[in-house]
Amino acid sequence: MALFSQTSHWGFQALLRKCHMFWPVSRCLAASFSIPTREKINYFSFMTSSSTALPVDPKETGVLPTEKRSEIDCKEEKGWDEETKEIPEGKHHFSSSVGAAKKWSMSPVVSRHKFTNVQPPEKPLQSEEWNRLRENFQLPEIFEELMLNSMIRCNSPIDVAKSLLTHVAKRNGDIAYNVLVKYLTLCVQQGQVSEIRDVYDIMKVRFKILEIGAYNLFIKGLSNSDQWRMALTLLEEVKKIMIPSRTSYESCIKAASCHQEMKLAFELYHEMLTKDVVPTLDVLQSFFDFGKGMKGAELQKELFGILLYLRENQIYPHETFMRSIKLWFESIPGRSWRGHLTNIKDSGQCPVCNHQLEDSNLTEEEYNNLSERIIRDVIHGTDTFRKTSPQEFEAFQTFVENRLPFDIVIDGLNVSHIKPRRMHCENHLPVYLVASVLDKKETLLDAINCLAKDNVRLLVLGRKHMMINSSNWKREIMKEMQNKADFFFAENISDDDAFLLYATLRSGKHCKFVTRDFLRDHKACLSDSLTRHLFRKWQRGHQIVLSSSGDGKRINFLPAFQYDCVVQTTGDTWHIPYKDVFEEKYSYQVPRKWLCIQQK
Amino acid sequence: MQSANMLLKKIVRSSVLPVAAQHEMKRDLFPLSRTLSLSLCLKQDNSCKPSEKLDLDAWKKVMKSGLQEEVSETVSEPQELSSLAAARETVEMWRLAGKLVPENVSEEQLKTFMECPSKSAKKKYLKFLYLKELYKKNDKRKMEEKRERKLEPQEQTSKTDETKKSPFLSLWASTMDKAYNWRAAQSMIFGQPLVFDMSYEKEMSVREVANTVKQLVQSEGCNRRAVDPFHIHLCNFKDDSLYHREFLKHYKEAWGKLLITVTEQCYTEVFPKDKLIYLTADSPKVMKTFDHDKIYIVGSMVDKSIKTGVSLARAKRLGLETAALPLDKYLLWNTGGKNLTLDQMVNILLTLKDTADWKKALEFVPKRKYHGFVTKPVSELKKTLDLVNTLKLRKRQEEVQKQFAKNYPKKYKLKQK
Repeated sequence: MALFSQTSHWGFQALLRKCHMFWPVSRCLAASFSIPTREKINYFSFMTSSSTALPVDPKETGVLPTEKRSEIDCKEEKGWDEETKEIPEGKHHFSSSVGAAKKWSMSPVVSRHKFTNVQPPEKPLQSEEWNRLRENFQLPEIFEELMLNSMIRCNSPIDVAKSLLTHVAKRNGDIAYNVLVKYLTLCVQQGQVSEIRDVYDIMKVRFKILEIGAYNLFIKGLSNSDQWRMALTLLEEVKKIMIPSRTSYESCIKAASCHQEMKLAFELYHEMLTKDVVPTLDVLQSFFDFGKGMKGAELQKELFGILLYLRENQIYPHETFMRSIKLWFESIPGRSWRGHLTNIKDSGQCPVCNHQLEDSNLTEEEYNNLSERIIRDVIHGTDTFRKTSPQEFEAFQTFVENRLPFDIVIDGLNVSHIKPRRMHCENHLPVYLVASVLDKKETLLDAINCLAKDNVRLLVLGRKHMMINSSNWKREIMKEMQNKADFFFAENISDDDAFLLYATLRSGKHCKFVTRDFLRDHKACLSDSLTRHLFRKWQRGHQIVLSSSGDGKRINFLPAFQYDCVVQTTGDTWHIPYKDVFEEKYSYQVPRKWLCIQQK
Repeated sequence: MQSANMLLKKIVRSSVLPVAAQHEMKRDLFPLSRTLSLSLCLKQDNSCKPSEKLDLDAWKKVMKSGLQEEVSETVSEPQELSSLAAARETVEMWRLAGKLVPENVSEEQLKTFMECPSKSAKKKYLKFLYLKELYKKNDKRKMEEKRERKLEPQEQTSKTDETKKSPFLSLWASTMDKAYNWRAAQSMIFGQPLVFDMSYEKEMSVREVANTVKQLVQSEGCNRRAVDPFHIHLCNFKDDSLYHREFLKHYKEAWGKLLITVTEQCYTEVFPKDKLIYLTADSPKVMKTFDHDKIYIVGSMVDKSIKTGVSLARAKRLGLETAALPLDKYLLWNTGGKNLTLDQMVNILLTLKDTADWKKALEFVPKRKYHGFVTKPVSELKKTLDLVNTLKLRKRQEEVQKQFAKNYPKKYKLKQK
């Protein structure tokens, strides 16, 4: 097999990557370069052949004892010219590579993950055999670690790892901590409880204090065994050092609820909530799984509490979790709960039980709170001048107060930029970059005409450059629009979205706003999660999204939600929205599928 | 006592170990005999059944036997550690676990480490220290190598000790410094002012302030060496601010002798408003030419977490004209923020001042951030870039073939025949 010199290899890589970078720019997805097939095959097969295949049969030493190998065996995804963080530990090798960065000799720490797999042996080896392998390896000092890594990857038999440890112990009279942790990982992976215990005993004596990674492994390993109580004591130990990870809590809670110790499990769960550790959905699901068929008002109360937790944090369970919830409800003895999967109509009525879902209106208090926070955090922020200026904001405020209330507030520029869907872009592109298929003024006029029905009061927010007569903004059409709606023009460098939010909130609960913006950056300005949830809820209920039809000729409206998309209950019914596992969900998307649970 | 207990527990619990092994374990308590017995064992093993009778749990015994003395020590120690010591232990354990952790950590650094709010912040801080340590070590090593290299030629030159005759005394550095200082002094009187706005301390973390000052020091150096230096003003400069303390760290006693103007006043008080132009990447206006009558303001701010519009807000508040460098006009941008470092800014401005050549000035923009200079309309350029890439690839292939031929001359020739 051909071994190209490293320089050409890297140069090639860099070039390949460069071409990749060009694709989005040039938009030509048909590759903008062509490699004759023979070269291509050579190149790629060269990559695969460069992996160090340590022979299974130790008698053949098939490792090339060359320096070249250590230069070749770096992972392909990482280009050299991106690795600016590497600092040489040993001596330099300068390679006269074309355009690529200098070749550093790699420090063991950095290069640890850069080697391709070593093939672990299938049977335990004798010390001499290990020695032979080690001496033929390019970096003997990290041989054990890499070997154990690949054992973890291949899930090798534990005896092989033991024989390696024995070899190390005989050679050095001691085993390094990181090697022990790797061995522990392998034990945990295979659930070798007695081994985990042994490693624990050795570590406890050998080291004064363990590091969090090892604790996590111990907890994970022991919680799945009959020694799960020990995992709990370990959790206590971790608490002395730092806040345990959510996975540690998860293991302990699962272990407790698996052994019907529901009370203990819930104690841990509440403790984790007080420490601001976000529980994984698996934890919540395990409560429902293990709580099946169990009696007790206490338990029911706790599980309802979890459902309310989902509600408060606007979390949507995935499908398997939803099934657990359904099964638990149906397993409650003495209450005939029935669950159905359904889709909710736009009107917000559940087709199964005809129950009208909650609307997405905020309470008076929430409303005022949100308005204040929008003004304080989003509009003013650290410096009022960043998004607007005090004079301008004041002018806007008086403008709005004099014309209240509006029914619909339109983000003029956003609406005028509607493009066909294939150029899907979510960020605000500067005006001159958008090759708008629809004429801007036409689009806005159409939108206004669509929305302006019988006495609806419209406010259109724009920027001052719209007032200048240009091909995009013809004066006559602007006049026509201004007859149908109130216009406010902000400075060209001001942020019109903030005004949009303010005007809508000031107008009251019935007022909707029109923009295709997801308002993520404004949500991010709000400092606490509670307000952010409020903001999202309000946004769902009040945002009308425009989209153009495929040919870009017509405008479609996606109306605001009539109902609020959260877990909700009336006491004898529960409605739980859920998402498909495979479906990607952004914070502004809401699931359409629901679980309706009612008591017969 | 405890060690004995441990052993007992171990023996009782481990049903894995055969009785013979337990006997061996007792023997293993004497480290010297251990190796002997083991090697004996191995030899016997090899003679009868290879790799069948390998004692897989031998490592545990080795570990434990090595621990006997240590155990007694750890027991005598008090269990409760002070928080500082505990932190030190944690750091040490992380180092053992193979994380990027420095070898030596000072008390002060430990305190900073403990104040880190989250685990990830702690890890990041340790990595930062680790890299810093590594840089230091490498510098030291290089210095030593240099010293060794210097010693060698000295021995040679001592043999041929001939002072060349030259009209100049070799006092380069100090003479140059003097010349530079004359120039800087001249610029203090006649030079075009360049203002650094030092009012961003609140927006920055301590590390960002330190980086800012580093960049300012570099800028001042570049400016001093220029043919026609600017007259640098540091405006809104508060005494005893973080900026000030960092400057003192860098300049030490030279801080008082610098040929720049440092003032607490705002630039609007020092200069007429209509002459000021605030340079900021967020500005909607693009700078077309360098104006020798205007006074440019650069915000002294490093924002690692990109805060947009902070300096634009300052300019808006004071009603100043703003401008951004025409990066998009002249460069085919590739990646990275359009906000440049302070020393890059100063270099660009100096070049513009001397040559008015944008292409030459924008050489100071880091090469990784752009693909090339724009000479034609952008759409055409993309086409040519694609073409260039295909050509490059072809060229590359030729090179590859050559290399291949070098590595495998015989095979290659055979193929050709």
